[in-house]
Order: sequence, then C-alpha cells, then structure tokens
Amino acid sequence: MNDAKSSMILIGIGGAGSAAARGVSRAFGPGLRYVLADTDAATGAEGEPFVLLGGDRLAGRGSGGDIPMARLAAEDSRDAIDETLDGARLAVVVACLGGGTGTGATLAVARHLRERGIPSIVFATIPFEFEGAGRRQNATGIMSSIATEASSSIFLPLDRLVAGEDNMESAMKRAVDTLASGITLFWRMVERPGYIRLDPERVRRIVANAEGGRFAVATAQGPDRAAEVVDALSRSPLLAAGNTPARSILCGILAGEDLRLSEVGRVAEGVKAAFGRSANFDLATVNDEATFSGRLSVVVFLFESGIRKDDDVSGGSADAPRLRRQRRPRNPLAQGPQGRGRFNNVEPTINDSGVDLDTPTYLRQGVTLDA
Amino acid sequence: MTNIYAALEIGTTRTVLATGEAKTGERLRVTCHAEIPSTGVRKSQILDINQATQSIKSVLREIERKQEETGDSLTIANAFLVVSGQHVKAFPFQGTTQVEGQRVDDDDIEEVRRAARSNALPKDVELLDIVEQSYGLDALPGIVSPKGMSGHILKLDTLQITTNKNLVDNARTAAGEAHIELRDPLFAATCAAESVLSESEMRDGVLVLDLGGGSTGWAAYDDGYLAAADVIGVGGDHVTNDISYAFQTTQAQAEMLKRKDASASLSSPADPSPRANLFGSSPLMEARTVSRRSLDTVVNLRLKELFTIIRNDLEDRDLLHRLNAGAVITGGGAALYGIKDLVRQELGMPVRFGLPVNVDGLENEQHAESFAAIAGALLYAHKNYEEKSFFPSIFGRFFK
Repeated sequence: MNDAKSSMILIGIGGAGSAAARGVSRAFGPGLRYVLADTDAATGAEGEPFVLLGGDRLAGRGSGGDIPMARLAAEDSRDAIDETLDGARLAVVVACLGGGTGTGATLAVARHLRERGIPSIVFATIPFEFEGAGRRQNATGIMSSIATEASSSIFLPLDRLVAGEDNMESAMKRAVDTLASGITLFWRMVERPGYIRLDPERVRRIVANAEGGRFAVATAQGPDRAAEVVDALSRSPLLAAGNTPARSILCGILAGEDLRLSEVGRVAEGVKAAFGRSANFDLATVNDEATFSGRLSVVVFLFESGIRKDDDVSGGSADAPRLRRQRRPRNPLAQGPQGRGRFNNVEPTINDSGVDLDTPTYLRQGVTLDA
Repeated sequence: MTNIYAALEIGTTRTVLATGEAKTGERLRVTCHAEIPSTGVRKSQILDINQATQSIKSVLREIERKQEETGDSLTIANAFLVVSGQHVKAFPFQGTTQVEGQRVDDDDIEEVRRAARSNALPKDVELLDIVEQSYGLDALPGIVSPKGMSGHILKLDTLQITTNKNLVDNARTAAGEAHIELRDPLFAATCAAESVLSESEMRDGVLVLDLGGGSTGWAAYDDGYLAAADVIGVGGDHVTNDISYAFQTTQAQAEMLKRKDASASLSSPADPSPRANLFGSSPLMEARTVSRRSLDTVVNLRLKELFTIIRNDLEDRDLLHRLNAGAVITGGGAALYGIKDLVRQELGMPVRFGLPVNVDGLENEQHAESFAAIAGALLYAHKNYEEKSFFPSIFGRFFK
C-alpha cells in the first residue's frame, strides 16, 4: 500500500534488496511507500508495487550475475521507475551488493535519482567473506561509484552485521532482518514521530549533504536500559570509526509510553560523547506503546560529512540544481563519472585502494597540459 | 596423424580466428588466421551478443575467403576460446596426499594431482587452467619429479586460473549463433607465453606482458613454471580514452593520434615536430593540431601507472628480482611507439618483443606480437588436448 502523501519512498533492488524492503514494509505496517525492482520477474509478488527491470533485454529471468547487463537493464526501465517516484522528495535505496542486479542496477538507480534531483540514501550490504572473493570484489568494486551517485551511502559488511552467527541460512536471514529493522526505525523516526519531532525536510537536507555513512541499532530492557544501549552502540563494529570523524549524527530513540526524560538525556549525552561532540546532532523520539513497551531502541546514523552546525536549515528547500552544484569529489579516489568517456556504461576498474582507474591518469594526478 | 585446431579470441579491439595443424610430436603450423575489428566488446567483456556474433561471422567469412585462395576447405565446427579481462584471477592451491608405502610411486602422484584438482569453485566461476608448479615432500619444497623419493606427505602446488562464468557463457552464446561450438576457454597471457618464450627463459625467470585493448595480462615464469599471473582492467582503450578526454577529440581521432603520433616514453621523440596534426572528425570540421608534448604526457602517465601497478604486484610476490630473462611484450600494445623504453624504465629489466617463434606460419605477419596469444592457444591445445580418435573432430570436414 502506497501512501500518496508520503514524500519518502523505499526502493528495494535485486532479490535480497527486495526481501529487505518487504521486511521493512511488514515491520512498519500500512503507510510505507515502497517499490521493489528486480530483473527477475519472480521477485514481485501479487499486489506488490514492483518494477521489472530490463523487460526486453532480460525477459524477466534475472541478470545471471552479469553486472553490466543489470545496469543496462535498469537504465532501460528508467521510465517505469519514474512512474513510481511521483512526488518523492527522498529515496531510500536498499540492496545487497555482490550479485548482478543488486550491484549493477543499484548504481543505475542511484544515478537516475541524482539526475532527477531526488536525494537518496543507499543502504547496501557487502557479501560475507565465505561468499567468495568474486562477489566481494563485485561489491567493493562498485562502492565508490555508488557513493558518488548517491547523496549518501551506508555500506554494511555482512560479516560485521551478524558476527558470531554460525549457521549460514540464519546468518543471512538475520542480516536482512537487521538491515530491515534499521531502515524501519529510520522511517518511524521521520514519519511517526513522538515528542521530539524530526522534520522530513530536515532529514532530506542532512541526507542530501551527507556522504559516507554508518548506522547501528541497539535495544535494551530494564532499569539500566539507557546505559546499556549507549554501551552497546559505542562498541558496535558497524560504527567503528573510519579515518574520518562523524560530522553529523542522527539519533533516534524509540520506546513505549514509559520513556523518561532522563533516559533521553543520557542517550543523547552518551552518543555525543562516543561519536564526537563537535558533530551536528539531531535527535528524534518515537513513542509506540504497542511495539516498544518496556523496551528502549536507539538507532544511530553517523555521516562523515554533512551540514554544518551553523547551517541555515530554516528554509529547508534544497532545490535540485543546488544539490548538484554542491557535489564535489569527496576525495581523489572517487572522482565519479568525470572523464570515464567510453567506460561510462561498463564495470569500473577499481584498484586495491579504491581508485577508479578508468578516469584519465593525468586528471587524477592533477597534471596540467600545455595547450 | 595430423591434428587440427582452431582458436577464437573475441577481444576488445579485434576478433581473431586462427587454425593450426601439427603432426603428433612436431611443430605446430598456423595454417590460416584472420582478424576484424570487434564491436560490442568493452574491457574484454561482451556487452552485445548480437554484435559479437556478427564479428565472429565476419571473421569466419574472412577465413573462408583466405582458404579459397590457398585451396583449403575446412568448416570450423569448434574452437578454443582465448580469454582475458579483469575477471581473470590466478590463485595458488595445494593438493596433498599421504604416501602409500615407503616411496612415492605413480599412484601417489596421480592421487596428489587429483587432490590438487578437487578445489570446489563457486558456481559463477569458470576454470581456465590448473597449472602444476612443483611438488613438495614433507618439509622439502620445489621437487620437480618426486617419483621414487621417500617421505610421508606429498604435496603439489598449483596455480588455478579462473574467470567469471557468465562472461565465458556469453562468448559461447555468441559463437554458437555463428555455428562454432566453443571448447575450453584458455587464458590469453599464458597462451602468449606458450608461443613466445623459450624454455631457458622460463627457467631463468621471465615476464610476459600481454597488452590488450581492454585489459593487460601478465604471466611470470620462474624455475620453469608459471609462478603468478594476473589481469588489470586497463588497456589500450584507456590510452585512447585519456587522449580523447584531454584534447576533446572523438574516440576515432584519439585512436589515430595514439597510433600515429603518440609515444609512451617521453625520452624518445618519434618526430621532432612539436605538434601533431588532427584532422577534423568530419569534412566540415576544421583541422587542428595538438601539442605532442602534452599528447606524450597523457599516454606516458597512463602507461607508467599501469606498469607501476604491475611492478608493485611483482615486488609484493617477491618475483621482481627473479625475472632475470626480462620482460616480453605481446599484444596490440606492442605497436605503440616507445613502449619498450617505458617498460624497461618502469620494470628495470631487459625487454624484447614477443614474436610467436614457437609456431610456424606467422613469419610474414607484420605485427606478429598481436597474434602471440591466439598462436599460443593453438599450441597449448596441441600440447594438452592432442586429438584422439575417439574425440569428436574439431572440424566438420577434413582436408580435401
């Protein structure tokens, strides 16, 4: 069921991405606006909003792990995707990288969203170690390209998502569940706010200006639940600091009617202390007695760069052209589509340090040429 | 008996088909070869099966035309596939077995070879080759032939060369449409090595650099066997693309500049004239000139980077200083001016071009380096797949 009033849309790409999006929809309940997209016609169930990618090209039989093919399939189906995007002002994309559609189509969709001027946040998982070097390379190879196209992207290595699980099938399922619950909480924060409200436009601004991201969820019960949650979050491998400190923190507190003011304070203080006081901090609460009775769930998003503290957010209308102008290469390693020329539609050549070797060398090395 | 083979390469720049024949135990002769420019291939991957099929059909017609001239009449029913591209990976795998009895006998060797082939590969991976490197017996490594030696645990080190299965299947589909059944896929760089290297070079340590249009493959030999190999997804197309971006030209104009004017090495100007002519992309476009210095800089930076990647990789694998016989350049990139000097500078070793001297029949070919891989594939097939009477014949019809 799509809620026409919602300006936020969830897009699940590929078989596993669709499963995750379906999980979010189930957990969130009616009112979530979402669409599934896959090259395999079998993914879309009866009555579900579903876009078949690359109808003529692949005849609905999946991409067979062929990344360039999946990317072209998604490009074929741009119009069909567009029909589902009517009025959307923020897109959340969920996909599992490594396979054909999850890897190739995600890049194409992220690019399309950027071209349409719709800010996007991509949640993408990196395959387990045991899935083999090939799938992992597929995933890591495309990361920098997705990061360039998406407004912000959160890459979740499955190994970290479900560390310690031994059974493969349950590990997969738990990974998808964790991903889905994270996105569900994000959604609730924005669309079912409690006493502290997070303006959807504000979220849109944060996402549109953010870059590399991380997220984690922790839940606890009992009298010390606030302290336990903060402790779990600060030790979460998913939030383990990269080289870049977080510039922007989005913190959601989800609880029942018994949420105490002191707990909100403790969580906010603990999260700030753990992930950087100088970062821009946004807090939201969700009060849902039915779901969270007695429990306290906290979801934390860290973005490596974002709007500055003193940024004017009152206007809240970051129009599309401005979004694009504000984008500049975040590091020399991910220069994006610039100079790719004839390699625009093929799988990029990314070296071990994440450099896109398809971009002209002289450009990457900043060498000036005589006229 | 005379054995006949065919090999097909669907490259980024060109599609090549060749046939060869050899009597058992004798030198192989390339009887016919043809090439046409590829379409629908980028970075060694087929992006459009229809276009690839058309290329294969064209090259088949070309072969038939040449056969008419020589009076041969063969229908090529199947061919080996020469494969390159950044999906090719080579990784070590060791087989082990317990020696039955006191000394290693043929059964033990058979068993360890079987064990070395038992590595379970993921479904989406296609095996190109398992190269046997050397045996080890207990703590003793580097044994060439362990038969008759005493020990308990027999080991066999291998290098397993794989690629993405879908890519090979796409080639199979394209060739199938042109009525050629593809036999095993073979790795371009080791094929090239097969046709250009001498056994003494392989013992002394040597590097084959196969400079393709969409990717660059290398294979390093030491002690007589393949020590390591890899492919980097950067090739001649990248040079062209860089030129096109730097001077705002079409890909065709950039290709022309690369072939006629550019030099990979800054120290060896091909032409004293400081500017290169660039004719208009259409008759209505004005001709202009570009700075040769800038042109060479763009090309040099790109290839220097490529060879630096390879040098670092060789260094990491502790191979660089062991390649005493130097580097051998094969592939279409060998035709680029100054490439030899650049490789010598960047890898710090002697360099020569790799002509397919281990086969006959290509002596009159002007750019024989670019046929090294396909000739090597025929040779490899001859060494490893010698036709037996119970094999289906490669060709639908035999000579005459």
